[in-house]
Amino acid sequence: MISMLLKGLAALGFIAVSAMFLIWLERKVSAWIQNRLGPMMTGFQGTLQPIADTIKLLLKEDIVPNGVDFISWWLAPFFVTVPVVMAFLVIPFSAKWIILDLNVGALYICSVTSLCVLGIFMAGWGSNNKYSLLGGMRSAAQIISYEVPLLLSVLLVVMQAGTLSMQGIVHAQHNEWYIFKPHLALAFIIYFIAATAEVNRVPFDIPEAESELVAGYHTEYTGMKFAMFFVAEYTNMFIISAIGTTLFLGGWQGPFLPGIVWFLLKAYGLIFLLMWIRWTLPRLRMDQMMSFAWKVLTPLALLNLLVSGWFMVN
Amino acid sequence: MLLTNIKRIFIGIYSILKGLKVTFKNMFKKSVTLNYPIIKQDMKERFRGMVDLYPDKCVICYQCIKICPTAALDLAHKTLEDNKTKNITIFTFNAELCCFCGFCEEICPTDAIFLNKMYEVSYFDHKDLLKIDLMSSEKYKHVDGGVS
Repeated sequence: MISMLLKGLAALGFIAVSAMFLIWLERKVSAWIQNRLGPMMTGFQGTLQPIADTIKLLLKEDIVPNGVDFISWWLAPFFVTVPVVMAFLVIPFSAKWIILDLNVGALYICSVTSLCVLGIFMAGWGSNNKYSLLGGMRSAAQIISYEVPLLLSVLLVVMQAGTLSMQGIVHAQHNEWYIFKPHLALAFIIYFIAATAEVNRVPFDIPEAESELVAGYHTEYTGMKFAMFFVAEYTNMFIISAIGTTLFLGGWQGPFLPGIVWFLLKAYGLIFLLMWIRWTLPRLRMDQMMSFAWKVLTPLALLNLLVSGWFMVN
Repeated sequence: MLLTNIKRIFIGIYSILKGLKVTFKNMFKKSVTLNYPIIKQDMKERFRGMVDLYPDKCVICYQCIKICPTAALDLAHKTLEDNKTKNITIFTFNAELCCFCGFCEEICPTDAIFLNKMYEVSYFDHKDLLKIDLMSSEKYKHVDGGVS
């Protein structure tokens, strides 16, 4: 019991540190790509900037706008943050570093991470603001649409490994990482695109498109509640990269270095790829995005699943 | 129809990869901005900053006072008893009025008055801006990095 509690606290600590590091990294990567310097004044290369930001957000006034639907407005940040923390239950950081190796790990993590959309929609509805409502609605439509190809590509990995346990999937990749198998490479590409849309990153950041919706569903939030949305967003990024690493890139397996180092290297590599894409591509239009999900990704994922399933059986 | 679509998909993927290549190259280029308050940019030769003076070179000809379109400069002198030597009593510069045209620098026969390279020209008190004593050697010292 106590060891579980300690592991949970460790996961919370990791979430806080990782979100801070990712916020710093995002600012630095955007600066490098745009030939700027980024944060430089606080600490070496601005490494203490996220701490300064956190203190600023903690000290801010918690404003409740007029006419909000108080219960859903107040609960929304928790509904976004709690699934993110819950997802850490089954992420295998190394052979032994996993809080609980559920035998339905892949199913659990996919269902828990899709709970976020509920919180996002609650925030959009409760804020009593047209931009928030539009952002929340777009986000719900987008996340539900991209859930389908994402789950289909995860299903292919589960079929290949023959297990839903996250450690089991890592062990199944002992000889060859799944990304090196052609059908699973295609599944990885589909997973990565769908996951980018799941976490509302550019080019699929329509729910929080700054130039049209202010900040989307978290427009009306200040202080700590805004910080919770922010932490959830960046931790979600880590989670989808961690799932991608576990399912396709061999998890914590690798030569020479310890498992945890390999896992973090691969996960942060994927996050860097997400950031690199964010600062390169423009935003898609809503209809383009939806038609891409339903007319291209879903049929492709389904076809991939059927064809590789047929080959697996025969 | 199918072929055109496949071609379009390939063109799309190619253009995304091309864009990613551009941004990747950019990551290793030298930054175009400076770490500002620590590293400051040198102003170019023709930059017109605050009005400055070499008091020893001034021959009190009043040309700068006459040419100044906004009357930002104020000069007074007294003649010593030998009726030959002149001494400046007041030479002040009103930075609020100045339009930084540089006429004073152009007209000055001895190049005594000039516009320096200072660009951080904010003051803590408005009054300080109105009467900057050009005779003082410490006139721009209070501004961080100010040159006099």
